[in-house]
Amino acid sequence: MYCLYVLTVVSMKMFVRNRQAMFFTLFFPLLFLLIFGYMNFDAPLRLHIGLVTHHPDAPTDRFLGQIRSMDVFRIHQGALKDELSALGAGNRAAVLDVPDDLLTPAGRSDPKTLTAYTNAAEPTASQAVLSILDQLVDKTSLAAAHARSLFVIQPKSVSVHQTRYIEFLLPGVIAMAVMQMSVFSVAHVFAIYKEKGILKRLMATPMRPIQFVSANIITRLIIAMVQTFLFLWIGLRMFHTHVAGAYWLLTVCVILGSVIFLGLGFTISAVSKTNESVPVIANLVVMPMLFLGNVFFSASNMPAILAGVAKYLPLTFFADALRAVMTEGAGVWSIVRQLVGMTVWSVAMVGLATVTFRFQERQNA
Amino acid sequence: MAAIEVSHLTKRFGALTAVDDISFAVQSGETFGVLGPNGAGKTTTLEMIEGLTPPTAGQIHVEGIDVRKNPAAVKAIIGVQLQASSFFDKLTVAELIVTFAALYNRRVNVDRMLADVQLTEKAGNTAKELSGGQRQRLSIAAALVNDPKVLFLDEPTTGLDPQARRNLWELIQQIKQSGKTVVLTTHYMEEAEILCDRIAIMDHARIIALDSPAGLLAASGIGSRIEFKASGSVQENTFGQLAGVVGLERNNGSFCAITSDSQATLDALFALARGGAVKLEELAVRRATLEDVFLKLTGHQLRE
Repeated sequence: MYCLYVLTVVSMKMFVRNRQAMFFTLFFPLLFLLIFGYMNFDAPLRLHIGLVTHHPDAPTDRFLGQIRSMDVFRIHQGALKDELSALGAGNRAAVLDVPDDLLTPAGRSDPKTLTAYTNAAEPTASQAVLSILDQLVDKTSLAAAHARSLFVIQPKSVSVHQTRYIEFLLPGVIAMAVMQMSVFSVAHVFAIYKEKGILKRLMATPMRPIQFVSANIITRLIIAMVQTFLFLWIGLRMFHTHVAGAYWLLTVCVILGSVIFLGLGFTISAVSKTNESVPVIANLVVMPMLFLGNVFFSASNMPAILAGVAKYLPLTFFADALRAVMTEGAGVWSIVRQLVGMTVWSVAMVGLATVTFRFQERQNA
Repeated sequence: MAAIEVSHLTKRFGALTAVDDISFAVQSGETFGVLGPNGAGKTTTLEMIEGLTPPTAGQIHVEGIDVRKNPAAVKAIIGVQLQASSFFDKLTVAELIVTFAALYNRRVNVDRMLADVQLTEKAGNTAKELSGGQRQRLSIAAALVNDPKVLFLDEPTTGLDPQARRNLWELIQQIKQSGKTVVLTTHYMEEAEILCDRIAIMDHARIIALDSPAGLLAASGIGSRIEFKASGSVQENTFGQLAGVVGLERNNGSFCAITSDSQATLDALFALARGGAVKLEELAVRRATLEDVFLKLTGHQLRE
């Protein structure tokens, strides 16, 4: 027991002192979280409008006030020349050139003209602006004519919990971070230990290989938990995410996920002929999973064959399980498919690692 | 009881026979050297005794324990320094000692262990930051954490500068004085001669001689080496055929005749010189070394 304790402590020290490992374990996933998190893919649509006015009279100014008060518009005020060049650069959905006396007393036969410049390359945005303006013109005209609306629309919104992108991203980043850490740290470190003869030196003591392997696994399970809760905390503090489900279930998922990828790490270190080939093989296995594993976006929109493969990847089970627990508050029964998937994968990977991984090279005696 | 008993030990790697039916015994408290060129089978022999490599055939007992039947019990009472001594990069010297002790489920006085190998000031450094000699001393400290009965050192001084080598010799002599049995391999004859009570000379997977350094010299029948520089019309291998000469080394006009009868060889050499066939310079007569014994036994030099 003392042996296992000391080995775990030193393997933890070695991990923490390894800057490269720390970078890929914490900093790299954090970077993904911050960049994609702050990109804010689900911010409400805003139309940038250039407003060109000079000295509007009082009625016109009231009309302009109505335009300014619309949430959907983001107003930029400026000279016509500047605003048109902004439109040309694609920074405006439309530029409105408003005459000072747009709204003249009723009864005048010839209405004044508000010129709306739009970007022909962006028909959707142009259409949106024009139809909003049309409504505004109708409303203003009706008001001027003192006419009553024929009917009113009463909006009644039903609150539906809309999943924000960050809520999709956070569990994905946690799954990715745990996978990267488990695969790379084990594969790399054990390949080095073997190549430098450290494992052989350890074998010259009464220590059993299982003790050394266990210490390294315990260390990485602890680090996986640190990763998970650190990223959860960052999500909580910076992006106001929350964990709807049970923490213990999250912990179970993280442990199952780590075990799969630790098994993969040991297998990769076993099949790599040299220390240099470790990152090559590891990336070959890990990279496709990053794109297909429901980390940054759902694989369900992909071509059927890819989506079909993606469904059974260990990272997909892992990310989906975390996501369901965190955002939907899923219990064991709602994620039973993922749990079974992860269990099957972990049995398979641990089995593969046991078959391939050797403390010492096999010698033909 | 012998500390180590090896009988009919053989190791084959496929078609290659690395160790070919060797037998020997190492007495308790003895420092035993296994000497031979690279590839002679020294390391394989040691690793089989240490329980790291399973033998193809033969028996090994360490302190009466059968290594093949109970390797863990043997590993608990031996200390091992492997040829390529590398350690975990990210741990300090002190942490490495604690770790190695833990592998034996032991707690040790790290300060004393480091003082014994003169690494006290390096306690906070990583193994990477040590010089070659310091690293070997660390490696020996790591091999001593379990207070072993038998210590194995595989080429402890290979690659070290002469000063570091001498320091290490002193350390090994201290360990020897503490009563431990030491088994070391080397391809430096001088080292074997200084450190070892008995030496097994290995060449091509077999032990070709086993005796004390003095015994080996006496048995070889060679007494001394005659070193000289010579120029002249005489064919070089003439020197090899002089009376008493059993071996000849040559190097750019310098010669070293290994002789079993220095008197006869010198007479013959002077006869050549008096006849005017050669001009002799820088003549020196020295006691023969194990290096010369090896040359005589195998017909080739220990290091090429």
